[in-house]
Amino acid sequence: MDAAAAPGAAAGGQQQQQPAPPRAERLNGEVQSQLNLEGMRARAVGLYKAISRILEDFDAIARVNPSGSPKWQDVLGQFSMVSMELFNIVEDIKKVNKGFVVYPRNVNAENAAILPVMLSSKLLPEMEVEETTKREQLLSGITNLPVPSQMEKLKARIDMIANACETAERVIAECRKTHGLGARQGANLGPMLDKAQAAKIQEQESLLRAAVNYGEGLRVSGDQRQMHSSLPSHLMEVLATGDGAHNFGDNSGAYPKNTPAFSPNNVNAQGNPMQASGGQLLGRSAPSPGTAGTPNFENVSTPPMPYANSPRSGTNMMNTPSPQQHLTPQQQRQKLMQASQQQQQQLRPSAAGMLAQSSVPQLQDLQGQAQQKVQVAGQQQMQYSQAQALSQFQNRQMQAARMQPGMSQSQLNQGNQLRSHLGQFTGAANSAMFTAAQASSNSQMMANIPGTMQTMQSQSMMPQMQFGLTGGHPQRSHQMMTDQMYGMGGANTTSMMGMQMQQQQQQQQQGLYGNMQGGGQSLQQQGMVGLQNQQQNQMQGGGQSLQQQGMVGLQNQQQNQMQNQMQNQMQNQLQNQMPNPNFSQQRQQNQQ
Amino acid sequence: LTFFFLWVCTMQHVEALEVLLQGLSGVPKERVRVHELCLKSVPMLGAVPSEVRLLCDLAQPTPSWTIRHVGGAMRGAGAEQISILVRTIVESKASSNVLRYFYGIGYKLDHEILKVGFAFRFQRGAQFTVTVTSANKMPKLHATDEAVQVTPGIQLVEITAPAAANNYNDVVSAVTSFCEYLAPLLHLSKPGNSTGIVPTAGAAAASLMSSGGAKTL
Repeated sequence: MDAAAAPGAAAGGQQQQQPAPPRAERLNGEVQSQLNLEGMRARAVGLYKAISRILEDFDAIARVNPSGSPKWQDVLGQFSMVSMELFNIVEDIKKVNKGFVVYPRNVNAENAAILPVMLSSKLLPEMEVEETTKREQLLSGITNLPVPSQMEKLKARIDMIANACETAERVIAECRKTHGLGARQGANLGPMLDKAQAAKIQEQESLLRAAVNYGEGLRVSGDQRQMHSSLPSHLMEVLATGDGAHNFGDNSGAYPKNTPAFSPNNVNAQGNPMQASGGQLLGRSAPSPGTAGTPNFENVSTPPMPYANSPRSGTNMMNTPSPQQHLTPQQQRQKLMQASQQQQQQLRPSAAGMLAQSSVPQLQDLQGQAQQKVQVAGQQQMQYSQAQALSQFQNRQMQAARMQPGMSQSQLNQGNQLRSHLGQFTGAANSAMFTAAQASSNSQMMANIPGTMQTMQSQSMMPQMQFGLTGGHPQRSHQMMTDQMYGMGGANTTSMMGMQMQQQQQQQQQGLYGNMQGGGQSLQQQGMVGLQNQQQNQMQGGGQSLQQQGMVGLQNQQQNQMQNQMQNQMQNQLQNQMPNPNFSQQRQQNQQ
Repeated sequence: LTFFFLWVCTMQHVEALEVLLQGLSGVPKERVRVHELCLKSVPMLGAVPSEVRLLCDLAQPTPSWTIRHVGGAMRGAGAEQISILVRTIVESKASSNVLRYFYGIGYKLDHEILKVGFAFRFQRGAQFTVTVTSANKMPKLHATDEAVQVTPGIQLVEITAPAAANNYNDVVSAVTSFCEYLAPLLHLSKPGNSTGIVPTAGAAAASLMSSGGAKTL
């Protein structure tokens, strides 16, 4: 290690100890090309650490069990690794030795005496003696001849010896093979791969990569996908083998009604599985208002594709909604309000398509369902709900704008992930959700951001907005909260729903929730309206409540076509594209 | 939470690699047996298909499920220079209902794969996880007992390390330097590129397997 380290240090020393001119010396170009000094240093350091770690392990073992010894197999393995690495380092340095000079750097009393000896290239006396004797032995017979012939003779000797070595190695290798001892590392490395083999290996490798990365070669055609009779144990309980009527990945129009036994095979977006799973997975009583809600839905045009729990008026909506889901809107709302923060709601992907023109009575329902669970480490819940659904609603009857409270705070680490996920859903709708992520360090923005702006086909405005808030846990900024509802009446598009709620003070009881009433009020596009939510969401009339309670911040960073203006009362609170910092300020201002 | 992913290489000298990794890491190996189900969302669920992977760890007495979503990879000039693929990955543990759940919300099984092998987890400048597995496909749906290797004889070596947005440079260098240690045996590359065999692999493997392989320094 010393030999290896010394040149490295020396080079460094050389560079640093130029007395007056502080210019940095550069390594000789050639040396530099041959020797990656940084890499070398990293390797040396790594090696050093490895060795010290091994020594520590030994110590630890010795301490714990004084008579114990480490497992020699492991130790040998580690040792071989370490020695291999050391060898490599030394080799590399040897290549460029000529470019370096050892320059003592840290000279103090104890070093000074021995330095000359270490630095000298003269052999020690004993070594000198040895060398002379050897030289005499070697050249004994030929010193009288002229030098070139001496050289030739020596060369001949060398060749002979080399031949002898080679034959010896061959013999040894053959013996090994016959005795099955395995090849030892040595000069002959066995047959090199020929082209055909190399090509085959290459091909296999690409197959493997494709399989693992993209699943090529692993897809099984539809008919082969019938459920196997004997499932492995970990899937047994998970996949019910009940109704086999569902195909994998088919979207037949069949909308299974009432299938309490959920068939996991059915991968279609057909409502059914949802409920069951919803019940189990959500772990919360209320959360999926969507499933229940449909009854009020009228005028829903038949969506092109069956959708889980989509409020399709014609078909039944609910395939046996699970009991929890039999909620009236009011109940739902309340439940939602009280919902614990931890609910995880699932995002309903693309409700968009479906809800084309419909009255949106049950917006909330949809929204509840329209959530996709996003997996995020830690407790993060996202809700998207209504956002997408809304987009196509034309709702005339927004009765009490139900809101989908689903405010659970979700914490988005890097909004990107969500965004990509969510991106799909929006279609027309936007997910304002992501904003939080972008908001980056806005510690005050705590999530609950309900809603996203949606483009609504309906023209009128949102009669009421309700925001469900669940008290959040104070979490760091990136929280995405989604959704809400919008009472959008009529024609207006874009209800904006991106509300960003702040969760810091959960004790505040002022419910603010946007009840915006009146026609023609839709949130202004890109307004940031942050709603400060507190636990109970009371829908009360009027933007007044909103105003009082302060910050209404809508954060919408995706395109949002909000065309309507917010209620007057809200206007002052809205600013287009409020940046987050402002937001917090406003919040503070508005707080009471 | 972003994870680093330095991808794969394939190699045949699995045992030698095991010895090498054991030596480098200093921790005992863990058995790996993971049933990975890759689910894709239906086109009607959104403009862009999304894919999520459910991993069921079968090595433990009670199988545990994990959801993993792999985000886009880091792109751009910086990404080209780094020899590691940086991707955003979100992972979460889940209950055993997760498969049913995803089916319920409209995901479909795209493909499944069974990975069997071993792994080493250790700290070396970054929290490394080195996994050496053979990828197996199942002829019948979910028939994990009948799995057959996709490429017999070639295994997949994955090296991953988590990083956050601000420290990923350090992690990159840690991973790269670690990979240099593996250089004699195998080449690692980003997932898109293929690597081929290292010519010294045979010798390196032999030296690792034999007791000593002493070289004179």
